[in-house]
Amino acid sequence: MLTITNLHAKIDEKSILKGVNLQINPGEVHAIMGPNGSGKSTLASILAGKADYEVTEGSVEFEGQDLLELDPEERAAEGLFLAFQYPVEIPGVTNTYFLRTALNNVRKHRGLPELTMSEFTKHIKSKVEMMELPSSLLSRSVNEGFSGGEKKRNEIFQMAVLEPKLCVLDETDSGLDIDALKVVSHGVNSLRSPERSVLVITHYQRLLDYIRPDFVHVLIGGKIVKSGGPELALELEADGYSRIEGELAVAA
Amino acid sequence: MESSPFASHFADLKPLLEVTGPAWLQSARERGFHEFETVGVPTTRDEEFKYLPLHQLTEWKMAPAHGATLDRQQVAKLTLGEIDAITLTFINGQFAPEVSTDDLLPDGVFVLPFEDAFLAMPETFEKWLGKVATTSQKLGTTNDDRFIALNTAFLQDGAFVYVPKNTKVVRPIHLQFVSDASVSPIAIHPRVLVVLEEHAEAVILESHVGQTGQYFTNPVTEVVLGAGAQLEHVRYQDETDVAVHIGNLAVHQSENSVFNSVVAQFGSAVARLDATVWVGGSNAETWLNGASVGRGEQRIDNHTRIDHAVPHCQSFEVYKTILDDHAHGVFNGKIFVYQDAQKTDAKQTNQGLLLSPTAELDTKPQLEIFADDVKCTHGATVGQLREDALFYLRARGIPKKEAEALLVYAFAAEVFEKISEPSIQAAIEARLFTKLA
Repeated sequence: MLTITNLHAKIDEKSILKGVNLQINPGEVHAIMGPNGSGKSTLASILAGKADYEVTEGSVEFEGQDLLELDPEERAAEGLFLAFQYPVEIPGVTNTYFLRTALNNVRKHRGLPELTMSEFTKHIKSKVEMMELPSSLLSRSVNEGFSGGEKKRNEIFQMAVLEPKLCVLDETDSGLDIDALKVVSHGVNSLRSPERSVLVITHYQRLLDYIRPDFVHVLIGGKIVKSGGPELALELEADGYSRIEGELAVAA
Repeated sequence: MESSPFASHFADLKPLLEVTGPAWLQSARERGFHEFETVGVPTTRDEEFKYLPLHQLTEWKMAPAHGATLDRQQVAKLTLGEIDAITLTFINGQFAPEVSTDDLLPDGVFVLPFEDAFLAMPETFEKWLGKVATTSQKLGTTNDDRFIALNTAFLQDGAFVYVPKNTKVVRPIHLQFVSDASVSPIAIHPRVLVVLEEHAEAVILESHVGQTGQYFTNPVTEVVLGAGAQLEHVRYQDETDVAVHIGNLAVHQSENSVFNSVVAQFGSAVARLDATVWVGGSNAETWLNGASVGRGEQRIDNHTRIDHAVPHCQSFEVYKTILDDHAHGVFNGKIFVYQDAQKTDAKQTNQGLLLSPTAELDTKPQLEIFADDVKCTHGATVGQLREDALFYLRARGIPKKEAEALLVYAFAAEVFEKISEPSIQAAIEARLFTKLA
C-alpha cells in the first residue's frame, strides 16, 4: 500500500529526514515512535502534502502512484487520511457542511454519486454515536471552541466518514485523558480491516495499549533505527529512548 | 466647491413638497437645503470624503426620482426573496402598497409610510425627526452632515416604525427600498424613522436594492431606543453595479438598551455607510457588525462612530471587508469617550481580506478618549487566506479553488451568524454565496 524509500526532506535548509524506509501492506498497523524532534510529524506532514517541506531525495509510492506528485486533495481522494496533531479551527464553516463537501469530493473522485443531505445524515449517524460527539458539535464551526479531546474525536470521526485506505494518526494521543483515549482508540480499531492500513505516530507507548500495532519502528535523527513487533514499544516504555540512542552512539 | 445638481431638483419639487406633511417639515427642508448648498457635493479635499470621489453626482444628468412600478416577483428577485415579515416596500422612494403587506399589528404598533405616520403620530414624528442623525453638539473636528441635510431637504416619503413600551414585535419588519433608473439617472432620498419605547423589542431588516441603471440614493435612517429597548437591525445593500449609495444609520440609545446592528454591503459602484450611535444612557450595549464584498472597480466605505457620552456602557464592533480585482475599501471607526463616560468598555475589530494584489483597503481606527477609567481596544488586520485552514480543507479532499471559496465565504459568513432570525440569515448568506461565485 505504502512504500517509502530513502526519504530525505528539509525545511528552511534544515535537514529533518535523512533516509527513511518503510513498507506498509494492506491491513497492517504500524507505529512510529520517537523522541521530540526526531522527524515524526514531518513524516506525517509530507505524506499529507504540506507545502512547507522540501523532499530532496527518495520516493513515496502509494497504491502504485507517486504520492509526492499529488496535491493534498488528490491524496485524500486516493484514500490517504491524516489525523492532525493540531486540528485547525475554521470559523464560519459548519462541521457538517465541511464534511459533506469533503465526502462528496472524495466520492466524486471514486466515481460514486454525491450524497444528498438526508443520505449524508444517515451515513454519519452511527459514526457520530461511536465517537460520542454531541450533535451540537456538528452544527458548529469546524473545531471552533472545541476542547482538546473533542478536536481529536472529531478527527477520527472525519476519518470514519471518509473511509480512507491509509489512516495516519499524528500524535492523536497528545493531550487526551484516558476516557477520550479509549473513545479514539475504539474509533480507530473499528475501522481496521484487511484492506485498510494504519500508521500511528506517537511519542508514548500508552496509545499502543489500545491500538495494537503489528510493527513498531523507532525514528531517531530522521532515520528509522530499529524495527520490531509490539514488544519493542514495551521496551521503549521501560527504558526510554536513551538506551537506543546510547546503542547508536556505541555503534558509531 | 463643485456646482450642485440638486438646486434645480429642489426648485422643481418645491410645490409638491410644500403640500406634503406638516408645516414644520417644510422649514426643516429649507434649512437642510441651505445647509447642503453651503458646502455642496464633497470633493476629496473634504476630510470626511478624502478617499471617495463622487464625480458621478456632478457628471450624471440626474432627474429627481420619479415613480416606477415593479411587480412582486421582480421585487422578490432583487431583494432577499420572500421573507416572512411585516413588509413596507418603496420604489424610487415612493411607498408601493401593491408590493407591501397589510398586517394586523399588536396594539399600538405602527409600521407605516410617512403619509400615514404624519397623521397617526405627529408629536412623535416632530419630536425625533432630524434629532438623531446629526453631529451638532457632538465631539469631533471633521463632523460632516451634508448628505443628511440633503436627505432632509427632499424628505417626502419614508418608513415609520413605532413600538410602544413593553411590547415585542415577534415577526421581523422588512423595510425595502428598490431603485429603478431605467429611463435616466435619478436621485433618491429615502428616509426611515424607528422609535422603540421603554422595553420594546423588534427585529428590522432594511434592504436597499436596485433593478437597473444609474442612480444616486441617499437613505437616512434614524433609530430611537428607549430605556431597556432592544433592536436588532440588519441593513442589506445590493444596489446595481453602477449606483452610488450614500447611507446614514443614526441611533440614539437610552439606558439599558441594546442595539444590535448587522450590515451587509454587496452592491453599488460607490457605497458608503455612516453608522453612528449616540450612547446616551448608562448600561447600554452596542453591537456593530458588518461585512462588505467589493469586486471589479467597486468602492466600499464603512464609517462607524460611537459616542460614549455616559458611564458604564459597552460597545463591540466587528467589521470585515473582502476585496477582489481593483476594488477599494475604507474602514474608519471612530469611538469618542466623553469626559463623564467612566467605565466604558469599547472593543473594535477590523479585518480585511484581499484576494488580488490590486485591491486596496484603507483602515483607520480613531479613538478619542476624554475619560481616564475606561477600556478601549482596537485591532486591524489585512491579509490573505489562512494557509493552515486551506491545507486542512485540502487534506480532507476539497480541491484548492473550492477550499479558497469556502474560506472567503466563511470569513464574511461569521458576521452574518449574529443575525438571530434564521430566514434573514439564510437569505443573506445565499446572496453572499452568489456574490462570491
